[in-house]
Amino acid sequence: MSLFKARDWWSTVLGEKEEFDQGCLCLADVDNSGNGHDKIIVGSFMGYLRIFSPHSVKAGGGPQAEDLLLEVHLRDPVLQVEVGKFVSGTEMLHLAVLHSRKLCVYSVSGTLGNVEHGNQYQIKLMYEHHLQRTACNMTYGPFGGVKGRDLICIQSLDGMLMVFEQESYAFGRFLPGFLLPGPLAYSPRTDSFITVSSCRQVESYKYQVLAFATDADKKQEMEQQKLGSGKRLVVDWTLNIGEQALDICIFPLNQSASSVFVLGERNFFCLKDNGQIRFMKKLGYNPSCFLPYCSVSEGTINTLIGNHNHMLHIYQDVTLKWATQLPHVPVAVRVGCFHDLKGVIVTLSDDGHLQCSYLGTDPSLFQAPKVESRELNYDELDVELKELQKIIKDVKLQGVWPLTEQEDDLKVSASVSSTLDSVSQATNVEPGADSVPSITVKITLQNRVVLQKVKLSIYVQPPLQLTCDQFTFDFTVPDMTSSVAFSVYLKRNYTPSELEGNAVVSYSRPTDRNPDGIPRVVQCKFRLPLKLICLPGQPSKTASHKLTIDTNKSPVSLLGLFPDFANPSDDDQVNVMGFRLLGGARVTLLASRTSQRYRIQSEQFEDLWLITNELILRLQEHFEKQGTKDFSCSFSGCVPLQEYFELIDHHFELRINGKKLEELLSERAVQFRAIQRRLLTRFRDKTPAPLQHLDTLLDGTYKQVIALADAIEENQDRLLQSFSGLKSATHLLILLIRLWQRLSADQTAILEAAFLPLQEDTQELGWEETVDAAIAYLLKTCLSKSSKEQALNLSSQLNIPKDTSRLKKHITLLCDRLAKGGRLCVSTDAAAPQAMVVPGGCTPIPESDLEERSLDDSTELFTNHKHLMTEPPMPEVSARQGVLE
Amino acid sequence: MGSEMEPLLRAWSYFRRRKFQLCADLCTQMLEKSPYDQEPAPDLPVSQAAWILKARALTEMVYIDEIDVDQEGIAEMILDENAIAQVPRPGTSLKLPGTNQTGGPTQAVRPITQAGRPITGFLRPSTQSGRPGTMEQAIRTPRTAYTARPITSSSGRFVRLGTASMLTSPDGPFINLSRLNLTKYSQKPKLAKALFEYILHHENDVKMALDLASLSTEYSQYKDWWWKVQIGKCYYRLGMYREAEKQFKSALKQQEMVDTFLYLAKVYIILDQPVTALNLFKQGLDKFPGEVTLLCGIARIYEEMNNSSSAAEYYKEVLKQDNTHVEAIACIGSNHFYSDQPEVALRFYRRLLQMGVYNCQLFNNLGLCCFYAQQYDMTLTSFERALSLAENEEEAADVWYNLGHIAVGIGDTNLAHQCFRLALVHNNHHAEAYNNLAVLEMRKGHVEQARALLQTASSLAPHMYEPHFNFATVSDKIGDLQRSYVAAQKSEVAFPEHVDTQHLIKQLKQHFAML
Repeated sequence: MSLFKARDWWSTVLGEKEEFDQGCLCLADVDNSGNGHDKIIVGSFMGYLRIFSPHSVKAGGGPQAEDLLLEVHLRDPVLQVEVGKFVSGTEMLHLAVLHSRKLCVYSVSGTLGNVEHGNQYQIKLMYEHHLQRTACNMTYGPFGGVKGRDLICIQSLDGMLMVFEQESYAFGRFLPGFLLPGPLAYSPRTDSFITVSSCRQVESYKYQVLAFATDADKKQEMEQQKLGSGKRLVVDWTLNIGEQALDICIFPLNQSASSVFVLGERNFFCLKDNGQIRFMKKLGYNPSCFLPYCSVSEGTINTLIGNHNHMLHIYQDVTLKWATQLPHVPVAVRVGCFHDLKGVIVTLSDDGHLQCSYLGTDPSLFQAPKVESRELNYDELDVELKELQKIIKDVKLQGVWPLTEQEDDLKVSASVSSTLDSVSQATNVEPGADSVPSITVKITLQNRVVLQKVKLSIYVQPPLQLTCDQFTFDFTVPDMTSSVAFSVYLKRNYTPSELEGNAVVSYSRPTDRNPDGIPRVVQCKFRLPLKLICLPGQPSKTASHKLTIDTNKSPVSLLGLFPDFANPSDDDQVNVMGFRLLGGARVTLLASRTSQRYRIQSEQFEDLWLITNELILRLQEHFEKQGTKDFSCSFSGCVPLQEYFELIDHHFELRINGKKLEELLSERAVQFRAIQRRLLTRFRDKTPAPLQHLDTLLDGTYKQVIALADAIEENQDRLLQSFSGLKSATHLLILLIRLWQRLSADQTAILEAAFLPLQEDTQELGWEETVDAAIAYLLKTCLSKSSKEQALNLSSQLNIPKDTSRLKKHITLLCDRLAKGGRLCVSTDAAAPQAMVVPGGCTPIPESDLEERSLDDSTELFTNHKHLMTEPPMPEVSARQGVLE
Repeated sequence: MGSEMEPLLRAWSYFRRRKFQLCADLCTQMLEKSPYDQEPAPDLPVSQAAWILKARALTEMVYIDEIDVDQEGIAEMILDENAIAQVPRPGTSLKLPGTNQTGGPTQAVRPITQAGRPITGFLRPSTQSGRPGTMEQAIRTPRTAYTARPITSSSGRFVRLGTASMLTSPDGPFINLSRLNLTKYSQKPKLAKALFEYILHHENDVKMALDLASLSTEYSQYKDWWWKVQIGKCYYRLGMYREAEKQFKSALKQQEMVDTFLYLAKVYIILDQPVTALNLFKQGLDKFPGEVTLLCGIARIYEEMNNSSSAAEYYKEVLKQDNTHVEAIACIGSNHFYSDQPEVALRFYRRLLQMGVYNCQLFNNLGLCCFYAQQYDMTLTSFERALSLAENEEEAADVWYNLGHIAVGIGDTNLAHQCFRLALVHNNHHAEAYNNLAVLEMRKGHVEQARALLQTASSLAPHMYEPHFNFATVSDKIGDLQRSYVAAQKSEVAFPEHVDTQHLIKQLKQHFAML
């Protein structure tokens, strides 16, 4: 994150696929030209040594060839290059090159040619030292306070400091407690070497101490030396910084003191000569290199710190003075003086980008990408806007999205095979006496245009089960046909409330304006045969629940109606037919010989539904085939409400039971957590206290929790079963009311909507309160006796009722009113005399968690609400902080 | 070509250049040649070095600075035994944000989060956390803006990092922890520190790390502050805050370091002692003047304590030390925005843009600032960019919501209506959009719809006072005094200083008295 980027003065790329590290860059007037112009010396791990003398780039031209003074291949990897007074008898600057097993000192000289590009440079080997151990890095300086010459100290990879007095080897010492090499620096003020050891300490060793310690050429000797009383290598001071360091620099503060700068992996330290912290700074990034240099203001030191986020920060002590962006991650940074330019920042990246730059207020040009937008043509835009506005307006008026004729984008058809599967596909069924059959359903999809995200899901009433209920299709070309087949079987031991299945296909149809596509849905229903869940059985004469359906046509032979259930053993009994549902219940169907009546009887009220429905459907089909148009069924007796109420009570009881269990569970959970907390404090105590049977309590509570959870699960199973029965009974009730009052299809639909809400039956919002609210609404609107009744207000929230008496009363009332000729109708103008606001009537409310069902008693609409409470906007910048890497 | 480089040297160089994968691979090759399998032989220093270098490289790959990463999970909140007083004195706790003592913008101007704090300008971990009272509440109330699930455990993140790193070594873990002889390693300080970091950060075995640390600190005769800090870190992760505090304090006595101050302050914050944390930070600032992390810590605490003016002061102090600090710029910017200085806020946000922050939120804020600073030409283009940069549905919803505000501002209620609807399309739980949609419906006279929308809004965000108040007003207008009173009371709980609510309640009480 920076405002500016470093201004490029001169840059080049070195070699191809060469590697560079910290020590590979050095700036000095290496050829002793005496004009104070620095040359850039770069060595690489591939063994190349290059010397540059950059000139400012002329407009239009890249770096010139004569900027490269020298390039030689030294065969061995160059670990570090340094320039100093390394040759005895002269104070000229020489170049020291550290290879892993060799130290070479060269002199660099140039011969002037006639023209500038005629200059020649060469290096001459002055002397070289072969090293016994693999070198790692080196430092140089006037060790021991010698004047006019520089000594070299090389740190080997296994922790030996080797000191060379120019052409001769002086001594070698092992550092104690060494594991991996750290950076090494020499402080002339205190005449000591400073390094960061593997123990994460800054350690300072006096040169004197090193020189006088017993010579140790082998590590074993050093071990013995530790034991013996000889002169041990004693550390001058240490400072624990708690992290490994990347680099160390010594910088003279003033005449009498110098500072030791340590760049750690996460912090940046400035130490006094005696190893105390002058200041430190926590770095919010991963640093890669640093360089302290003198500051303009007194008593402070500036530091350049490069990091792995391509940035170069300049600090004055701890205050950030400048941040600039670099095109690469620098591994080494130096400041130099070239020709007429002072203070040029030279950076080297590990892949060989060498750049000389200076700070400037060039913004780091971040060009925000252009937003994808269309060419602005205001006329066209106006037209389009108007068109869209019109669509929105239409939608608002109609309340629904206008259905354009695009239904044939995708054709869905379902076919149920006429025979049961020869090998049943049923798996995991509940153990029962009968083998469970399955039937194959085939769904065929045919598209007209290209469609995206086509997904088919199939739903059947539980406990019916599908072998697969989700399919995905790919309609990439128009006019494709694909089909899938799956099997349906009865999974549990009770009867489903419906034999109808539903296949829903959702897809999105891309248009030119909306390439993502408009989501659309197509559904297709299919009807499963009765024999899937039912077997022919022995008819029984007696039963507790009986229903009689009247027709206006002469009776039909039951064998003709139910050929698939004909019992071959007793074909003489044409008027009686027995069914055995897979759950075990028996239903008997009787046809009267003389009158036009059919009787259905069973031990369970809810079991009547499927057979009754099947009978009526088959009768209708039969007469349609014969060409009779005016066939109708009717029901005369009173509606069997009592049996129905029993089922409601059973369902409600289970719900109450579930609620109780849940309360118990939450109590136990609270208790469990309380015990846990107690135990936690016990265990944490320094002085262990006896547990006082808390563990037994914990165990007991845990068992209770598990038992309760099991009970809840079992209860839920039973609830599901009971709900399925309740649904069957409700279907039957609606059917009976329809036959009894000869309701039209519209009215039946209203009744179904009221009695069979689409949502799931859950603990929070169950069937009872939903149906009660719906019936109460019907009673207050279209079935109301007087306008006074309409004024009643309902509670706005649906809660689980205390008992079912209110619901029962309402259902009875509903039947009464229907019997007295009430008509079901929900359009407001027909039934309700008053204009009223039906929630969600005019425009669709966006889906809300809490649908308000209250009816408002006030007819006056208030028009103006002055106080516009607008929420203030919420700006927030979520640049996540902390984790940079 | 001449001689090859020593592999250890090359690996060491890779490590310094943060090419950890290359470094680890190279070390693996070296270790294959001369295995150093748990048993260091004294005559094999090279393999020992390679072993520790690999451990360090693997650690650095997954290392994160633990000072910032913290999010309290439910378990920590519910089983919190460190709470001292249930009802702390105002201004001494972070749990109950005190009322605005310093006259910053009120809730009516600056929205608040669920925990009752004004929203801040910078999303950082634990910005949005609040302490729920019970487990049930914790499970039901969403605590981050993005998921409905509360964070289950604070260690979730650490565990994930730990397991992710396992994938890098197909032959199983690099160091088999169960076979380590901790006592032996604790006596080798040069190995122990790197090994400890490996165990803690890479393997995430806090208990084992703690064992190693305690053995090591014993070996160093309790003279190494670093080990104390590490023990403190382990205690902190294990939730033993008081013990952690002791260790950090003892470490500070030995050697004052910035990190130790930060760790100790973190302990105080989780112990809910913001004042102690503040004092500690200030003490740290005496030692390390101008340390950005310490200043930033102070500013964050002030912000959490609802003292936004002090927070802004410290953020300004941060900028004096480090003027590229994104968090400080963003927080000062939002502070200016909510104190009615959109022009000034605009400058801060523009600075962020220049610095290369390029995201949806920034353009959203720029758009808002432009609008309120009457620079209408830039407003819509900013929002256009914000929309194109929106990374998820929630962001897009917020942008549409703010566009709705612009539409309300220019009086185009149709556009506003559509914008709020679009906000809801993107995020169905956008309570503010529900509320504003309700206000628009109310203006059209659709009372029932407005009420339904307001109820939705208030059930989605009970901490906002606006839906409650609006509901109270609507109910009052149509004569439903009882509900109006109930809603007004809820509004008063959410925002006690709201004058209109107080007025309404007074009026309603008069009504009731008359009856």
